[in-house]
Amino acid sequence: MASVVAMPVVSRGAGTGRAPMEISRRELPLARSMCWHCQSDIGGEYFCNQCVKVQPLSKDLDYFSCFGLPRKLTIDTARLETKFYELSRVFHPDFFEGKSEMERAVSLANSATLNQAYRTLKDPILRVEYLLRLEAGAAKDIPGKAPADLFEAILEMQEHLEEFQAAKSQGDASSAARAGDLLRKARKTLEAKRAALENRLAELFQIWDKLAEKHALDETQTAAKEGTLKEMRDLLSERTYVMNMLQNLKEALV
Amino acid sequence: MAYSEKVIDHYNNPRNMGSLPKDDKTVGTGIVGAPECGDVMKLQIKVENDRIVDAKFKTFGCGSAIASSSLATEWLKGRTVDEAYTIKNTDIVQELNLPPVKIHCSVLAEDAIKAALQDYKKKASAGEALGEKATVQAK
Repeated sequence: MASVVAMPVVSRGAGTGRAPMEISRRELPLARSMCWHCQSDIGGEYFCNQCVKVQPLSKDLDYFSCFGLPRKLTIDTARLETKFYELSRVFHPDFFEGKSEMERAVSLANSATLNQAYRTLKDPILRVEYLLRLEAGAAKDIPGKAPADLFEAILEMQEHLEEFQAAKSQGDASSAARAGDLLRKARKTLEAKRAALENRLAELFQIWDKLAEKHALDETQTAAKEGTLKEMRDLLSERTYVMNMLQNLKEALV
Repeated sequence: MAYSEKVIDHYNNPRNMGSLPKDDKTVGTGIVGAPECGDVMKLQIKVENDRIVDAKFKTFGCGSAIASSSLATEWLKGRTVDEAYTIKNTDIVQELNLPPVKIHCSVLAEDAIKAALQDYKKKASAGEALGEKATVQAK
């Protein structure tokens, strides 16, 4: 915080002269190009150069650029963490106690955005789900393929689950044991399925990152990107079904 | 979150829970899932002379999903195939008084109805192509 306040106020030359240096220093886009308080152009990084009031971050800010990270699925977690702590210190509401209501609100909103961004990018599944939302584009409108075999398996498991619970409530120990065995076997199959899905997902992370490195946007490149996004989306929904079922099994088999 | 009385009633006394023979030519099966919540719904119809004479469901999901599919089977019985297509998720929402967060359950039920009808039609037209329409209709 102290460093921010002590930041040298760049003297403004007459007229329009805003040096490119000033703009590039700011990594996060702000909600507006004018200070909410003194109406002057915001020259500094997150704080107005004139009145030193904290500025709201843009609502369109994407979480990757929030931490200066490329839009890739394998991320530098150390950098994510460092950047998160750094920015948290800048916007932390504790530093704005005793300031105006608007400044407190801005600090709170910016901190909330940061926390949300950090939580999302830290978790690989949330990260890829977020990327899919960002990159949705054409892939969004193609209906995902429904995993029919998995649905059948889930419904069958559901039956065993009901048998198991009925047997338990009727005190039928042998039936309960039999159904319990089936469920434990099913859980093993599901755990294996989950591992396979997550392995493939990890492979797709690599594929996506390679594609993201190439800047040429020809047709094959676009098609490859869309194909990767689509496969990731299908894998993620399949994983949701698997996780949902595993959760139910866990609750039943305690 | 509080469920409406109708949802609780369908949940405690589900109508038409079970299965119909999947390979029967007069049976249409729809299995659909909601990737957002992991719910899975199976809905089956048995059609005779273009009228739905039986409907069954099996749902793996929350109370609202179970109630939506249970209600759907009640509504399907006695309708013609074309009439069945007119069932909309909004009708289910209204009947069960579903809150906004549970609307996707009714969408799932509508999807399941459509999938079952589609499956029945596919089977029926395949039978027609093989000259089996007479036997199907005679059943």
